[in-house]
Amino acid sequence: MLTQTSPVLSDSTKVADLISTDTREVQMRALSDPEIYELEMERIFGKVWLLLGHESEIPQPGDFVVRDMGSDSVIVSRDAEGAVHVLLNVCSHRGMRVSTVDCGRTQIHKCPYHGWAFRPNGDFIGSPVAHECMHGKIMSKEELGLKKARVTLYGGLIFATWNINGPTFEEFLGDAKWYYDMLFCRTDRGMEVLGPPQRFIVRANWKTAGEQSAADGFHTLTLHRWLGEVGGYAKKAEGESGADLSPEMYGVEISSPHGHALRCIDLGRKIRRLAGMDPDQLSVDEKLAALPPAGMTKEMVGQLAKNLSPDQLKVMAWMPPQVGGMFPNVLFGFVYIPQSDGTIVGSMTLHAYVPRGPDKLEFVNWIFAEKDAPPELREKMLKQTIQLFGTSGTIEQDDSDTWPHMTLSAKGAMGRKMTMKYQAVFETAAPKGWPGPGIVNEGFTKDDTQWHWWLYWRELMTAES
Amino acid sequence: MIEAKAQTVPGAETAPTRMSDRVAVGSALYNHVVEFLYEEAALLDQIRLQEWAARLASDLVYTAPLRATRSMDQQNSTVVRTVQHFHDDWRSIMGRVMRLTGTKSAWAEDPPSRTRRLVTNVMVAKTAKLDEFAVTSYLLVTRSRFNSPEYDLISAERRDLLRQDGDSFKLARREIIVDQAVIGTPNFAIFL
Repeated sequence: MLTQTSPVLSDSTKVADLISTDTREVQMRALSDPEIYELEMERIFGKVWLLLGHESEIPQPGDFVVRDMGSDSVIVSRDAEGAVHVLLNVCSHRGMRVSTVDCGRTQIHKCPYHGWAFRPNGDFIGSPVAHECMHGKIMSKEELGLKKARVTLYGGLIFATWNINGPTFEEFLGDAKWYYDMLFCRTDRGMEVLGPPQRFIVRANWKTAGEQSAADGFHTLTLHRWLGEVGGYAKKAEGESGADLSPEMYGVEISSPHGHALRCIDLGRKIRRLAGMDPDQLSVDEKLAALPPAGMTKEMVGQLAKNLSPDQLKVMAWMPPQVGGMFPNVLFGFVYIPQSDGTIVGSMTLHAYVPRGPDKLEFVNWIFAEKDAPPELREKMLKQTIQLFGTSGTIEQDDSDTWPHMTLSAKGAMGRKMTMKYQAVFETAAPKGWPGPGIVNEGFTKDDTQWHWWLYWRELMTAES
Repeated sequence: MIEAKAQTVPGAETAPTRMSDRVAVGSALYNHVVEFLYEEAALLDQIRLQEWAARLASDLVYTAPLRATRSMDQQNSTVVRTVQHFHDDWRSIMGRVMRLTGTKSAWAEDPPSRTRRLVTNVMVAKTAKLDEFAVTSYLLVTRSRFNSPEYDLISAERRDLLRQDGDSFKLARREIIVDQAVIGTPNFAIFL
């Protein structure tokens, strides 16, 4: 029996007790229990801001894409005035999906079943055989529109929530926004998608991917070990040896009370190699010129100062956010990939892990470039990103084979009682001179960011509704 | 035989559409091409990846477009060649082979999948170059991972360019047009 507040599962386990705050453990049961999944759809995916795409996917009036908010299909559309709307893809008449395609352009969304018609903003236009008034007279046309989500655009990214009177998107991001701005709001014209997202199914609970996105740097050493064996990272400076990726795991990690997480990785070694100088002897501008932010060129670096603060520039040239997540189901990668000729090419990618049931997720992978990036760079970024991330990505194909096994473990009568442990705790704080806000820790990657992810999960799952 | 209609076959510009260019089914050249495809499937299914890689031309282009669910009147745009699932060349394919064969940590295929590449509906056409042939085939891959009794199925049309190389061919171009808009296997860690 599920109660509306402080939920209790059918075997009398309290959801709150799945997480042991004293020992920093999470019961494996959380990864597969159908009751928990149903609660998550209401209490997490029904409440928080969710990433649905980028406005460059729907540039013209009437353009739309069909996406998902948790277990619900939604239409993301642009109206004649250019505003973006997010509409539940459920006909207000009999519940048929109004749109059955992935994308298109139309000024009228017409339900294929009885022909009820809606504008791109969700307003009900009418039903066929107007003089018969087949929508009846009991409810007004104003009451018969498609259900509308609350929408915000951020760096062109489209976010929506069903929590109409809840926190603003800025409140949801909190201190993490200072860092996300360095990725999504750094250039004059902003970024755009290089095409529609890749989509594929992984037989795993969405949280296996979600919590890993909350800045699990540690797994890289083992799961992505091949990078140190034959990849670009195999090339070592003098004195470094073997397939050891651990030098890449040092930096700063930003946690958030809302489960957002960013790994800010030290660029010092790369800058030293590229500039042939000790990065400590270089100014911020010199460092940015030696190694422009992932996805930017030297020529574009001048735009940064117009869009970011001097403190943000300092972090950008020192330890920029490179991988991390946005609660609940988003991963970002803005990474600097070493090439065989010694240069660096960036990749800019965002993933959403759409829940498709307790044991299944849809991996949605968008690939981006700055609008001002020259065509040769865009082409390089596109190929490189496809080769490293997403469907055939030689890095992420190992992740998508791992999450299903965690999900299977969570089904065992004994396995479900086991715990995931987040006990590698930072004993540091922000590095000297760190100007950014948030919960900041320096050093080798630890578990704090993912632990904060779970604490917010717990907070939402047990909140008074 | 039916002539493929360019306006209804997505990306038909690369498909053999004209009867006059067609290499007859059952002819010696046709059989030779089919033999190449069968041998290639066997090498991949037997995870003899380096032997497979030796059959790739150094100017290889290897891609797998995304598919989009679009309305009937927009069928020309169901094949998406901007972002794709594969966007590779010879060098990057050799990198993938090296990862799978030369490292101890390519977990996506370690332990490896058991696969069957079923290749059918082969059509061969001559091209403007005497030593190059445009080959389309249907592909159904059954992929069995771990101890799951369920198969991942990958169905696709492949559009290849084969180049005569001694008494066999080299693969110079492959476009894998998968049928699923949302791929039903957790990665493309195998070659198609």
